[in-house]
Amino acid sequence: MSWRVGAAAALAVGVTDVSLFAHQGAPLSDLVIGTAVNAITITAGLVVWTSRPTSRMGLLITVWGICGFLADTPSLVPDSRVIATIGLPLILLPSAVYAHMVFAYPTGRIVDRVDRFAAGAIYAAAFLWSLPLLIWSDPTGCAECTPHVPSLLFIGQIKRLRLIGQGFSVIFIALGAIFVLLVLRRFRRAAPGVRRTLWPLALAAVFGGAQFIARSAADLFGFASWQETLLWLDRAAGVAVPVALAIGVLFTRRARGAVGNLVVELGHVQPGGVRDALAKAIGDPTLELALWLTDRNTWIDEHGREVEIANMPGRAVTFIGDELAAIVHDSDLADQQALLEAAGSAARLALENERLHAELRAQLEELRASRARIVRAGDDERRRLERDLHDGAQQRLLGVGLALQLVRSRVPTGEAAELVAEAEQELREALRELRNLARGIHPAVLVDQGLDSAIKTLARRSPVPAHVSFDGERLPPHVETAAYFVVAEALANIAHHADAGHVDITVRRENGSAIVEIRDDGRGGADVAGSGLQGLADRVRSLDGRFSVHSPPGAGTSVTAEIPCG
Amino acid sequence: MRVAIADDSVIVREGLARVLDDRHLSVIGLAENAEQLLALIEAEHPDVAILDIRMPPTQTDEGLVAADVIRGRFPDVGVLVLSQYTDVAYALRLLKGDEKGRGYLLKDRITAVDELVDALERINAGECVVDHELISALLANPARSDRLAALTPRERDVLALLAEGLTDRGIGQRLWLSQSTVETHVRHILQKLDLPTGTAHNRRVHAVLTYLDR
Repeated sequence: MSWRVGAAAALAVGVTDVSLFAHQGAPLSDLVIGTAVNAITITAGLVVWTSRPTSRMGLLITVWGICGFLADTPSLVPDSRVIATIGLPLILLPSAVYAHMVFAYPTGRIVDRVDRFAAGAIYAAAFLWSLPLLIWSDPTGCAECTPHVPSLLFIGQIKRLRLIGQGFSVIFIALGAIFVLLVLRRFRRAAPGVRRTLWPLALAAVFGGAQFIARSAADLFGFASWQETLLWLDRAAGVAVPVALAIGVLFTRRARGAVGNLVVELGHVQPGGVRDALAKAIGDPTLELALWLTDRNTWIDEHGREVEIANMPGRAVTFIGDELAAIVHDSDLADQQALLEAAGSAARLALENERLHAELRAQLEELRASRARIVRAGDDERRRLERDLHDGAQQRLLGVGLALQLVRSRVPTGEAAELVAEAEQELREALRELRNLARGIHPAVLVDQGLDSAIKTLARRSPVPAHVSFDGERLPPHVETAAYFVVAEALANIAHHADAGHVDITVRRENGSAIVEIRDDGRGGADVAGSGLQGLADRVRSLDGRFSVHSPPGAGTSVTAEIPCG
Repeated sequence: MRVAIADDSVIVREGLARVLDDRHLSVIGLAENAEQLLALIEAEHPDVAILDIRMPPTQTDEGLVAADVIRGRFPDVGVLVLSQYTDVAYALRLLKGDEKGRGYLLKDRITAVDELVDALERINAGECVVDHELISALLANPARSDRLAALTPRERDVLALLAEGLTDRGIGQRLWLSQSTVETHVRHILQKLDLPTGTAHNRRVHAVLTYLDR
């Protein structure tokens, strides 16, 4: 279908050109080559346009071909003042569209800001160049000039016209150089997978840019003898672009061989490695993989982290399967849709697998976070309880005690006085127990004075002589709390089970972690599962820490907790 | 003796005032927090200020912070801090310098008014007072008892009272000993523990407490 459209369009152009030739008698070589180039270009444009309607590339190529035809009209009808007026501003238009097209490859839209600015400048120069010629040029009697007649806007010749023309030649040389540099820059920055299809076009564009510079230079220095050669080069550069696009497509086809390798590689890929395999096969190291979690309605990466599929400039998204995965890649790869889809299909099974792994990882991460939250909430609750005890029960008991003091001073001796003294004694016991209870729930000294003081107090209360070696400053509150309970529980265990004569408690900082070690010289053989040690292990691990108990029978026990302070 | 009381609990504040009033101490005013207490001291200039260690806003160690301010602004006003913390670190924060008339008692002590009044009188006389429960906990520790092995039982009794802040005369009265006997004991204790002898009373209390807390 598309080929037929193209062929029809090419035929139309050809017929028009031939009829004009028949009318005017322009040189045959010009006509045949010009017509062929324009026909090929328009055909290629229409093919691309119909096969990839979403890309504006086809439209651009078609427009370029039509502009080529329009630009040729002044040379085909050199004696018409109307054609001269309309045609002069169109002569350089194909060159500008050409630059636009190269910049816009492969999506049809110019993404880069510098490229967009350069394209704008080229369009402006291509149009402005014709204004002085329209107004001041009278080429009557100049055999090799196109057209042969002045335009309708002609107001009279001026001497400076040649100088203005030379000025434009300088501008064109500069713009040509900028164009070549931008093409090279684009190629250098492109991902390997993009280069695979970009290089023929880049080569053609550099060639086109170079011959444009050469033509402008020939104009500037008046090398008329070059003109013939340069005209041929111009035609060649024109053909080079559709050829380059065709070669690009060919290489894309060949790149599908990479999909075969991908299938082999996916056979023994490790969980988390699918992204790398895809990146290699598609040739885009910046490729990002996103996996869809249906039950959470969110995208995650291969590590289980939540990600967003944002529409960023220069990036494009290809979806794989129904609600399975998406790859975010260099937007220049968008023209290799077939390769992307083939790679995606090949990776489907591995991606399903990868999603399960990532889901598991995400769940683990969530679990870890919630465990940490629970422990912290528990600690906060302990603090609140301690405060409630202090503000409530303790104060009331003290009030009772004060009242008893008043009673006692009014009951000097006898049985009543004895009963009051007994009540006082009971009350003091109650207060002591309450104080110890509050302290066990949450030691205020930990908050006020820090871990150092709190552990020293623990050591002081330990029935087994304990030596404390504390190195370092205050630690984050949750780390201090965990370290405190580790020491408290370990000392309680030692007092009950270890039959030890001495305990060494060490707290030090190492590589951003607090290391708490409690070592006794008791009988060893501690049962981790059966004691409060398990709770400690859970508490330490909730902070991403490590907890270990080394307790060989008869050789003492050493409990070590390593808690990250980050 | 003129006394000011600061405690955020109305039960304790009012109850304590009544009990002290009952013992013919003159309670010149009550405060709910450290700020009110400082205003009260400025206006009434009491002999001793009784203050809770935990007061608004943070409910942690406002009492100790206020004690520091009182030392700077009203050096001749005695301070008794009531606390529920048995950690010696708190007592050492209160007694860090050579100031006179500082006391650290567990809050339970207000239910034994004789002990409370005794402590207030000693503070008013410029002595230091440390709750005996803190000291007995320190001395009961087995690790520490090794270091104190060189002391005789009697010397250990004297050491405990030294740490509680009693003067030689006070120790004598408690143990039914003559003052010169107490002085001999004290000298021996300080030599055996390698602590400086002949320093002022309050410095000596601080040195002994620091030693026991090690």
